[in-house]
Amino acid sequence: MEFIKKLQDLDRRWIYLIIALAITIPLLIPFNAPTYTTGPTETLYQMVDSYENREDRAILICFAHDASTMAELYPMEVAILRHCFERKVKVFTLTFLPTAAPLVNYAIDMVKSEYPDVQSGVDYINIGYKPAALYLPIVVGMGDGIAEAVKTDAEGRKLETLPMMKGLNNYNELRLVIETSGASYAMGWVTWARSRFGVNVAAGVTAVMAADAYPYLQTGQLSGMLSGMKGAAEYEYLTDVFAAYQSPDYPNGRPFSKELLKDQDVIDSIDISKDWDPETKTGIMYKWKTARLGMNAQSVAHMVIFLFILIGNIGYFAERYQQNKAKK
Amino acid sequence: MKKQIPLFIVIVLSFLFAAWAVVPHKISEEFYQGYLVFVRAMSPFGVILGIMSITMVNTVRIKRKVPNWQYSYVTLIAVYATAAIGFIWGTSEGSPYIWIFKNVQMPMSATMFSLLAFYISTAAYKAFRARSAEATVLLIAAIIVMLGQVPYGVMISPKIPGFAQWILDVPNLASKRGFMLGVGLGMTAVSLKIMLGIERAYLGGGD
Amino acid sequence: MFEIISNLIAAFFTLAIFSFLYKDNPFYRFSEQLLVGVSAGYAIPLVWQNAFIPFVYEPIFIQHKWYLFVPVAFGLMLTLRFSKNLSWLARYPIAISIGMTGAGVVLSMNAGVLVQMRSAMQPIDSLNMLIIFVGTVTVMLYFYFSKAHTGLYGKFTKIGIWFMMIGFGASFGNTVMARLSLLIGRIQFLINDVIMGFIK
Repeated sequence: MEFIKKLQDLDRRWIYLIIALAITIPLLIPFNAPTYTTGPTETLYQMVDSYENREDRAILICFAHDASTMAELYPMEVAILRHCFERKVKVFTLTFLPTAAPLVNYAIDMVKSEYPDVQSGVDYINIGYKPAALYLPIVVGMGDGIAEAVKTDAEGRKLETLPMMKGLNNYNELRLVIETSGASYAMGWVTWARSRFGVNVAAGVTAVMAADAYPYLQTGQLSGMLSGMKGAAEYEYLTDVFAAYQSPDYPNGRPFSKELLKDQDVIDSIDISKDWDPETKTGIMYKWKTARLGMNAQSVAHMVIFLFILIGNIGYFAERYQQNKAKK
Repeated sequence: MKKQIPLFIVIVLSFLFAAWAVVPHKISEEFYQGYLVFVRAMSPFGVILGIMSITMVNTVRIKRKVPNWQYSYVTLIAVYATAAIGFIWGTSEGSPYIWIFKNVQMPMSATMFSLLAFYISTAAYKAFRARSAEATVLLIAAIIVMLGQVPYGVMISPKIPGFAQWILDVPNLASKRGFMLGVGLGMTAVSLKIMLGIERAYLGGGD
Repeated sequence: MFEIISNLIAAFFTLAIFSFLYKDNPFYRFSEQLLVGVSAGYAIPLVWQNAFIPFVYEPIFIQHKWYLFVPVAFGLMLTLRFSKNLSWLARYPIAISIGMTGAGVVLSMNAGVLVQMRSAMQPIDSLNMLIIFVGTVTVMLYFYFSKAHTGLYGKFTKIGIWFMMIGFGASFGNTVMARLSLLIGRIQFLINDVIMGFIK
């Protein structure tokens, strides 16, 4: 009983230390834990996939977060951009937060460094930062004309002069908007762009907000959703299994298939514990598996939190039992 | 009159925009395009207000020598030095301005929020108790969803991820939809109150 | 070498913030205030470059659209917010910005209420649909305070509470993941960028 009492009064700093170790050790010693994909991620992946090689289709990624939630949202952005560059899907990037502007550049540069053929203005356009006061004018204005609504890209070039804009006018062509945010589940886009122009909207959200977004998924107002680090890990995995897959039969990736996701050989073939070897061209680059490695640490930390809840409650009930006994 | 004219502007613009939302006519589009040019030209000035506010707050702290007033110098110097660096050396990749963002703003901002991981762990240990039947339901749902998210949840039972997803897809959805309908109606009511000039808090106090 | 030093500086600020976990200290306070200042100062050149130049300077001084001095004057009125005698002038730009609310009434009613209601009124053809229907209705009943939560009505609202608890539980479970993710991100930075960068 004394021991349980001591456990109950454990100094918070010991708890901090335990949780820090539970995260640090799995990150120092990477292992290969399987990644299970969920419906909302698969739907978003398939939607992006369907615009492969289309000159008259594009997607937009709206970075609506700063560095504070980067650990959850940045790997999503990297994974989606990688998917787009693999499948030659035209992509716009945009932000209304000044502190997100460099994050957009980092994400593009990080992915582009592995795709030397990808060109700014041809395969993607980084609209860059636009002041928050222009949020509604841009979200709504793009329904009439993308180039007119945003005017210039991050490099100050007029949008209508860029080759990628040929065939891209408004939401009739820009069919999918993905907002990555730690504060809203793309509600601005759902309210203004979807209600008025019928554009598909998807959300990359921090896990805190994910549970609140399910009603919008069921109604179809959200076409897909990536939920926190797990969502990012799932998207990384799907890109590895399909878009980035290379073999003599599929030199440019293979099409999405639910059956393949259940195939044990496919599951075993993706091993995140192996680093990329440029000579044998095996393994996975660190930047393509950041979220999945993070999920390893997440696994251990969740178990520790589960134990914390268990120990805390055992202590609580033991104390209550003692108190009841004393009363009698 | 100091309040009446802005209020009149809000009411007129609100009704025009309500019409614009449902009437896709050439005139309504032209009105919107005109508004766009107007708002764009107004947009840069909001930041001046923010900078004025932060300067005033910190100057007052220094003047009054409130506890830890010395740190207000850090804030003030950081505001103006960062801005000056951006203006002098530019904002492109590789500039000192971006270096400051990457090595000062970014790590601190991310770390500040990561502290929450420690606090939630302590809460799980010290406060997350099955004190009542309702609290127990909350606790069980939380544990299942938590374990269902990670690969190791499957090791406890292969059914956990499916069950966690069911909780999110069905009872959680029902609960959140109940809230959402209430919030949605509330937001519409607030918007209507603004449109009709009943809600005026956004105009500030005074005459 | 430059990258290593840069990473070390970033690591210093990371650890300075973490030091608060042990106890409040000058390193933490300095970093906290520096963060506030840098974040605010950072926005100024960006707004200048991305809003002032393309939307004010170029249209007025290059394209000679002189009428744009009118919105500029309204924009400047915002700065009078802190003036004792002229703060009322700041209401004009706010009124112009907030005017778009009218469109929101129509569109948010559609996105937040009508579409959700339509989905809630689908035929109950499965157990899940029944659960969703019961949950939605009972949660809404719980927030109807014009009738006392007693008797049969109270039993319905009690079911609403159970649904809310499951919803809160789901949110809490996800919140744990979210908070841990942020810490994982920082430790990944310390291990991969700082320590590994140093070793390499």
